[in-house]
Amino acid sequence: MVDQWRRVGRARTGTPRLVWGAVTLAVLVLGAVFLPWLGELDESLIHYESVRLAPSLEHPFGTDAGGRDLLLRAFAGLRVSLLVAVLCAVISTVLGVLIGGLSGAVGGWPDRLMMRFVDTLNSVPHLLLGIVIVALYRGNLTAVVASIALTHWTTVARIVRAEVLSLRERPFIDAAISGGASRWRILHRHLVPAVVPQAAMSAVLLLPHAVWHETALSFLGLGLPPHMASIGNILAESRAAVMTGAWWVVAFPSLVLIATTLAVSGLASVWRDRLVPRRRSELAL
Amino acid sequence: MVLADGYEPETLNPLLGFGEEGASKLFDGLVEHRADRSVRAALAAEVPQPSPDGRTWTVKLRSGVKFHDGSTFGSEDVVASYRAVLDPAFASTVRANYSMVTAVDADGPSTVRFTLAYPYAPFAHRLVLGVVPSEAVAQPGPLERSPFNGKPVGTGPYKLTEWRKGDRMVMEANDDYFLGAPKVRKLTVVFAIDDNTRAQRMKAGEFDGTALPPLAANGLSDVKGAQIIKHSSADYRTVVMPMANPVTGDRAMRLALNYAMNRAGMIQALLGGRGQPASTPIPQALPEFVEPTAQFRYDKDEAARLLEQAGWVMGGDGVRARGAQRASFTLMYPAGDSVRKDLAQAFASDAKAVGVEVKLEGLGWEAIEPRMGADALVLGGGNPFDPDLKSYPLLHSSFAANGFNNPGSYRNAQVDAALDAGRKETDPAQRVAYYRQFQRAYAADPAMVFLAFLDHTYVVRDGWTGYQEVVDPHTHGLTWGPWWNVQSWVPRG
Amino acid sequence: MRSRARDIAALALRRLVFAVPVLCVVAVGVFLLGAASPFDPIHQYYGVQIFSASAEEIAQAREALGLNDSLIVQFGRWAGGLLSGDLGVSRSFRQPVAQVIGERLPWTLLLVVVGLVLAVLIALVLGVLAAWRQGGWLDRCVTAIGHALEGIPPFVLALVAIAVFSLSLGWFPVAGLTDAGAEATLGQVASHLALPALVLAVSQTPWLVLHVRQSLLTALSEDHVTGARARGLAEHVVVLRHALPTALLPFVTLIGARVPELVTGAVLVEEVFSWPGVASAVVRAALAVDFPLLVVLSLLATAAVLIGSLLADVAAAVLDPRVAVDG
Repeated sequence: MVDQWRRVGRARTGTPRLVWGAVTLAVLVLGAVFLPWLGELDESLIHYESVRLAPSLEHPFGTDAGGRDLLLRAFAGLRVSLLVAVLCAVISTVLGVLIGGLSGAVGGWPDRLMMRFVDTLNSVPHLLLGIVIVALYRGNLTAVVASIALTHWTTVARIVRAEVLSLRERPFIDAAISGGASRWRILHRHLVPAVVPQAAMSAVLLLPHAVWHETALSFLGLGLPPHMASIGNILAESRAAVMTGAWWVVAFPSLVLIATTLAVSGLASVWRDRLVPRRRSELAL
Repeated sequence: MVLADGYEPETLNPLLGFGEEGASKLFDGLVEHRADRSVRAALAAEVPQPSPDGRTWTVKLRSGVKFHDGSTFGSEDVVASYRAVLDPAFASTVRANYSMVTAVDADGPSTVRFTLAYPYAPFAHRLVLGVVPSEAVAQPGPLERSPFNGKPVGTGPYKLTEWRKGDRMVMEANDDYFLGAPKVRKLTVVFAIDDNTRAQRMKAGEFDGTALPPLAANGLSDVKGAQIIKHSSADYRTVVMPMANPVTGDRAMRLALNYAMNRAGMIQALLGGRGQPASTPIPQALPEFVEPTAQFRYDKDEAARLLEQAGWVMGGDGVRARGAQRASFTLMYPAGDSVRKDLAQAFASDAKAVGVEVKLEGLGWEAIEPRMGADALVLGGGNPFDPDLKSYPLLHSSFAANGFNNPGSYRNAQVDAALDAGRKETDPAQRVAYYRQFQRAYAADPAMVFLAFLDHTYVVRDGWTGYQEVVDPHTHGLTWGPWWNVQSWVPRG
Repeated sequence: MRSRARDIAALALRRLVFAVPVLCVVAVGVFLLGAASPFDPIHQYYGVQIFSASAEEIAQAREALGLNDSLIVQFGRWAGGLLSGDLGVSRSFRQPVAQVIGERLPWTLLLVVVGLVLAVLIALVLGVLAAWRQGGWLDRCVTAIGHALEGIPPFVLALVAIAVFSLSLGWFPVAGLTDAGAEATLGQVASHLALPALVLAVSQTPWLVLHVRQSLLTALSEDHVTGARARGLAEHVVVLRHALPTALLPFVTLIGARVPELVTGAVLVEEVFSWPGVASAVVRAALAVDFPLLVVLSLLATAAVLIGSLLADVAAAVLDPRVAVDG
């Protein structure tokens, strides 16, 4: 396991992408964590006297229809979106590791059945399945998280299963089994180190997808409660602003969203390339 | 003329609430409203008057009126329509409006007599109910399943030629209309639910007119050949404070929140300046009824003083508490309504400024309904015709927890007494006195936090004459709004 | 050769047979989700009029609608209706589900097909040009924009397109299928189709462009291409005649595999542009918890995905004799 991490650290491919991605993400995350807490800046308070102001020194991103500073609101929204995304990524990774790992380790007909089920689930477009789930449990944060997690675990499950299957074929496992090692020991010494980096990377690769999914649901009016600052809700509100020429209401939250997804997926792809240069296509989400 | 509407009627049956406030285009009532909110005769030959004891209303009918299918209109149609409303077997949704009627009888082919259980002064306003042919209500049974709902036959200035559900409705002028054939020959109503899409398509020139939220309408101010029309309305937005909730059930809390609201700011910022501050359900559109002393000013200090006095002490986290009870409650709003969402956010923001925490929840109506008794709710409604029509079901204790009527179960003996007196009194001056008394009693013990009467905003393309300004009820779009009297518009040039 | 044709037909048949249990599982799954939902279908039946209905009336309606029956009975009744061609009634459109689908599906197909064709054309042209001059300014532009576009959701793209092309420049109408009240003539539909189809195409292009570029680069380094170059053939002949066919094969499979993203894109694009297709009906049905329509639309989307991957596999097998057809 240590070797694998070292390889990631030493490799030189994609260094500029790594630096840019890391810097952008750091700025965004710091902003999301700290900006909404600065001073008396409560993003939910309405300011009747400063409605729809164009960007200025005081409000770099301008203000929205409620007179709320869009810089604060966009980052508060990013915080909500990132929290939801991290939660979803973790849940779907855990689900995927458990199901994929078990399926690969057990093998036989349960494995084949499980893979058929995964195929079936992948046959329904994820956003559509997500829409069905949130429609039936509206106005509920859990529903949004569930709708994303339940549709995204399959990718992780496949990767983990493939890893477990390839491990089963390797001579050192056979050697360990014939050497009388316990199941627990094999799991602990060989499976976990091989699977954990894969799973961690899948989780990171899932992040932009989860952000994207949550944003799309909220934009359609089916996601997070509309009063909650999330990038999707802010963009849904901005549809009215497009008409009045308040371009900044659309532009800046969009930029924050795009920068986030690009930075995360850039980082994740560098990591992926370094970790498993040859298995690119399999890991492409 | 192509109009766009954000709301598609579920049904076109007046007995199920279509055109409940008149101006339905397809149907006529015995009377109809004029721009000054008085009534004039429509299917009646003259404006009906009550008997001296106020309990019998005799209506003479207009002769020579025909339904769209060519059959002749007569007293049997009026009697059948009103009896169907009153008969539970038909499950009419407007039945509660006619609870004072005990009998409807024909007195020959052109006279109808209504008998009331008690004198009811504003009864003429109830006679705007669209009259359907007696054949449409021949079979008792839930009206919801009647094919008439989608294929209406009325006497109105327009007849329905096509209704592609979810898309559009096409109406053609009724050449036999008893007030003369309309000059606007064809009326197409396109249903475009999303406000922004409608605004964009209006701007692109697809529609001759539409209703829009104020801010979206302001975005169309530079469109050539079109103008923005503003109607003041009796359409209030209020926050219902349920009596069963330990926080909102406290009179001091409700009074304080009424003082804590920056109504002018909300109207300016969130409604684009298009609205009037509201403190009671009586709108400025009924000027003689408005009680000037029952209006709440914006006064945060007064709000804080009231809360302190009632024992709500400021805590370390900026939220007050009385004993173990934190000053915190949940406010629900319908998730699809952006104006109500904005007002809910403003309410929470202003409440926070005086140390009251309001948690928002955007829900579907089906989730809101069972919780209306315990959690606060942003509610809307109102009509400008008579104070009784809305105030009574909204605030009288006999309507407590009856669906949307008085959902907070407000009970106040003085308010009840004033509303009862106003409803039965026939002398106009005395009625005004009763309704002012009602507002004073309400303001001392408010049931809700009224925020604003919304102005309805419309964008209308030039090309016609005949527009007449009017005060809108809650409903607008196809029925009310600039096109309320479209049958008397004339194309220009 | 004839036996290969038979093999391909067998492949198609096998996939179609596999589709049946998949669709069944999706139907049962969505039905169970609905059954577990706190949403009471009686609200759907009554709408806002529920507030004036008495408890007694509601109980009677529940009984008449069969909402008190067990889950299995309800599913059996619904599935039976489905098999006999009765898809139920959509509440949000107040029309039979079959009619909603019948009226809206052609418009979605039009949008998606035009969008996909546009996307493929753009991808082929830009991808080939970029790979041809690898490292040149065009290549760098295409790669950079492609990566950037991957991060932009279709609805942001749609909003920006409306703001720029419809509202500022006035080149295209904002939304809808035709101008209001106008007949659906060719010109009307074409002018309204342009912007949504373009947005859908652009939102799908980055994956396709980058893929074409990558597989063309791989193909250019293969033996037969190097051989062709060594024989002194003109560069455009080498690229278009020798390298491109090899590169196109995985591209066909990729297009088939992108149907889910295409459906997702269609949902968002149709919603923003008020395009009267089935994809925007998904959103409307979801907002109204219009259950019968949602189930059928889920099945429709699933079928589209399965057909997409089947077509891609068949096309790949027809184009390249080396592709195995026993999978």
